[in-house]
Amino acid sequence: MSQDWEIAIQRTINNNVPRVHKILENHKYILDLAKKLREAKMRVLSDLETYVEQTLEAVKRTGGNAYFVNNAEEAKEIVGKIVGKGKIVVFGKSMVAYELGIRKYLQQLGNEVWETDLGEFLIQLADEPPSHIIAPAVHMTKERVAKLLKEKLGFDVSESSSHEELVQKVREFLRNKFLSANVGITGANAVAADVGSIVLVENEGNIRMSTVVPPVHIAIVGVEKIVPTLEDALIEALVQAAYAGLYPPTYINVTSGPSSTGDIEMKRVSPAHGPKEFHLILVDNGRLKASKDPILREALLCIRCGRCHLHCPIYRVLDGSWGDAPYSGPMGAMWSYIIYNDYKPALYCTHSGNCKEVCPMKINIPRVLEYIKYMGNKQRSDK
Amino acid sequence: MLGKLIYDYLQKYSFPYPIDKKICSGWAKDLPSKGETILYTSCMYQTASLSEVYSKFIPYAEKLSPLSFLGRFIKPSKDEIERAYRILNKIAQLLKRNGINFAYLYEEEPYSGAILLELGYLDEFGQYAKSVYNFFKNKGIKRIITVDPHTHNALSRYNEFVEHFDLEIVSYLELVKDVKGVNREETFVIHDSCLYSRFLNLRDVYRDLINKSGIKIVEDELITGVDTSFCCGSPIKPINPDLSDKIAKARVEQLSKLSKNIIVVCPMCYANLSKYGNVKDWIEVVE
Repeated sequence: MSQDWEIAIQRTINNNVPRVHKILENHKYILDLAKKLREAKMRVLSDLETYVEQTLEAVKRTGGNAYFVNNAEEAKEIVGKIVGKGKIVVFGKSMVAYELGIRKYLQQLGNEVWETDLGEFLIQLADEPPSHIIAPAVHMTKERVAKLLKEKLGFDVSESSSHEELVQKVREFLRNKFLSANVGITGANAVAADVGSIVLVENEGNIRMSTVVPPVHIAIVGVEKIVPTLEDALIEALVQAAYAGLYPPTYINVTSGPSSTGDIEMKRVSPAHGPKEFHLILVDNGRLKASKDPILREALLCIRCGRCHLHCPIYRVLDGSWGDAPYSGPMGAMWSYIIYNDYKPALYCTHSGNCKEVCPMKINIPRVLEYIKYMGNKQRSDK
Repeated sequence: MLGKLIYDYLQKYSFPYPIDKKICSGWAKDLPSKGETILYTSCMYQTASLSEVYSKFIPYAEKLSPLSFLGRFIKPSKDEIERAYRILNKIAQLLKRNGINFAYLYEEEPYSGAILLELGYLDEFGQYAKSVYNFFKNKGIKRIITVDPHTHNALSRYNEFVEHFDLEIVSYLELVKDVKGVNREETFVIHDSCLYSRFLNLRDVYRDLINKSGIKIVEDELITGVDTSFCCGSPIKPINPDLSDKIAKARVEQLSKLSKNIIVVCPMCYANLSKYGNVKDWIEVVE
């Protein structure tokens, strides 16, 4: 365990864990919402292809473009065609885009690309894999962040700069990028199959700007994020924020196709001030296969709150490198298998059970990892 | 394959690695060997200290087979074995004091299969569970009293692999009442067993016992909470002994912030944590 990691993770736990306990104690309705959400997500996962079709059709009804892709290559081809070359692209954080290698691909095509989520921005600057699903730079101490910003971008900061000063400097830098961006790319916390809306929950305001300021918005989303209705999608945003310890969330964004107005004779016209194009790319990359397996299906319930990470002894003692990026921690050990067919991270599970205890979706993560260990053992013996 | 090797050892020695079974049974002398209720140790307390030695052999497991006779010479130290025997005798006495009659299978006692389960060798575990179940049935056993969480967990999972599983599995913790702390002056901190605490619903059972014994327990939301308390690192030892040690060290550092006296309820937790701090099995601090 490096000293930096030890300090950073301990500060994070002290800041986050008691806060989540308090949020859940003070807002008990979230427990009911989480239960309802699990049921809704399970309905989708039991018949995922049908819900994918329903979602694609619903997005088209709102004037958006919708695609289903099997893998990274297909996703890159579509994103490359939409973005082209020589553009400025702002990312509003998408772990699925990271999974598919979209940022680096767009850079290779000759685009200027910026992550705008602060954690992901730091990851981009350091050229390191994320160490946590919602706080990608959780492995960096404040002091290291200051050093990084000074070295890479020449910011006038030092190791004694406050958290506030560091955030302010990044804000000034990124504001120009938002205003000149041609394309905004985000993920989604949830996609509503009934109306084709995507829901994003955030605190920084970077997602809001990435989805509204550039003339083109692309959302790249795993198919497991589909929920039956917009109501379920909004519930997912609330539950995710609460279990991440960021409740109430500063912003919940709903995007349903390109911008529009109904102000002249109440006729709905598109575009208005926001993007003139909206593209939703639904990604399989191993998810559909997993949805057919009654045990692996559980992993697809994950809402990426990142709570399991901070309660896991392995994650805490290793330096955030457990799992295949961007999927770290206990959830990452499950997702490493689903996406990359890598069973090795699962072998590290000590079945401490803290992860299942805190998971809002009640995923019995140790049991899923036990199954992945089993599948891995079988793979090895077949060789 | 490691799973196959362990399975073969289980067939041959009724244990995951070669061992002299007298080590397992040496603690008991006056217990009946037949009865519907048995006290079942699965040789966990007796051999917990050997996990260190055997985890180092795991990378060479496939080549180990011809050297298996060496295992018969690997034994826990005199102190370790005496301590394990004292604990098991005390558990037996407490059960008797609470009016529980039981038999013990001595050298016939099979291992539970826990390691196969925990390493994800589910086919081998299922197959082994069936053979152990049949063994118990042929002995006329109806009720099994376990003494450690790994064994209790393994037996509790037998019903997933054995059709019409009908044995009662009960922890001695559920049968023991009214113990008295031997040291009521100093404070103690509990390192919970992950399995008891979060899988087997026994966390409150031993906490109540300890609290009622008069022993002063210190708690902290971030160190001893149900969803925050750490693992001892023992289950990862066969995969990565260094990581196992790092976890144990980190755990003892956390616990020591609350008290230098650490209580455990699992022999594997003791084996892993006691290198770094003053650790005792809870049974050693009550009478």
